[in-house]
Amino acid sequence: MIVANTFSKLVRGVASFALVAALALQTSAADAQTKSQEGRDKGVYIPTIWVDPDGCEHWVMDDGAEGYMTPHTSRQGIPVCRRGNVCGMMQSDQFFATDSHRINSAGRARLAQFFQDTGAVSYIITGHTDSRASDAYNMRLSFNRATAVAKIAASTGARIADVRGYGERLPVATNGSAGGMAKNRRVEIICIR
Amino acid sequence: MIRTKIMMVTACALGLTACGDFEGGLGSGYPQDKSFDRGIDKKHLSQLQAGIWVDPNGCDHWIIDDGVEGYLSARLDKYGKPVCSGVAPPNQTVGDFKGGSNIPDPN
Repeated sequence: MIVANTFSKLVRGVASFALVAALALQTSAADAQTKSQEGRDKGVYIPTIWVDPDGCEHWVMDDGAEGYMTPHTSRQGIPVCRRGNVCGMMQSDQFFATDSHRINSAGRARLAQFFQDTGAVSYIITGHTDSRASDAYNMRLSFNRATAVAKIAASTGARIADVRGYGERLPVATNGSAGGMAKNRRVEIICIR
Repeated sequence: MIRTKIMMVTACALGLTACGDFEGGLGSGYPQDKSFDRGIDKKHLSQLQAGIWVDPNGCDHWIIDDGVEGYLSARLDKYGKPVCSGVAPPNQTVGDFKGGSNIPDPN
């Protein structure tokens, strides 16, 4: 028992020595840099989050006299947002026939009414498809559908910030079921306020 | 910016302010946690009040003048693309982006 205790103390001693050594190494690594790492913070800047009026996060820091800010994005460059500003989600089946980007008159009237009622500063319109047919075909079809919606918006006096087709590349549901594919066939309207 | 900093230091030396910005004396600096404005207009940085600045290409950025600190960060849509809303012509600001602080600007 005594032997075991002594042994465990020895192990702990070695472990804490290793920890101290590791910390010392870390400190000297920081010291070895420039004058900018010589302050009380050792060059470590821990940010907080500021949420912009769109609901998206930014890294923000105040080091006393200077302020710093940059968008919080994923490694893929996609902003981290607490809510979206997608204000209109059109299920394509309600507006377009298969393979078509023509909107019938009832659909046109509904959309025009939507843009008149919403009254945003501007709109970003993005088209999406399911995964049937080729990627290139779907890129074209989704762009044509988004453009058709943008034209109606513009006819009501709305400002269009951008029109894009993402084809089948950004699904919101599985393409393995009919229901999932129907969800993926959509035109998203982002309202910039 | 340099002018405002000099102003701050002078104000501190004259004992006009709490000098929270130079806590612990000049040179030793701030701790690693940079999540607070510890100065005259103290606050957690989540409370910052932004406006829009339109860059020369016509795209929007969040702009914040928080007294001594200035902040600028891109406005992005959910796909990560710049938002170029057309809310104002290039170089123009929109909204009360100086409203979160009582420290006046030299201009």
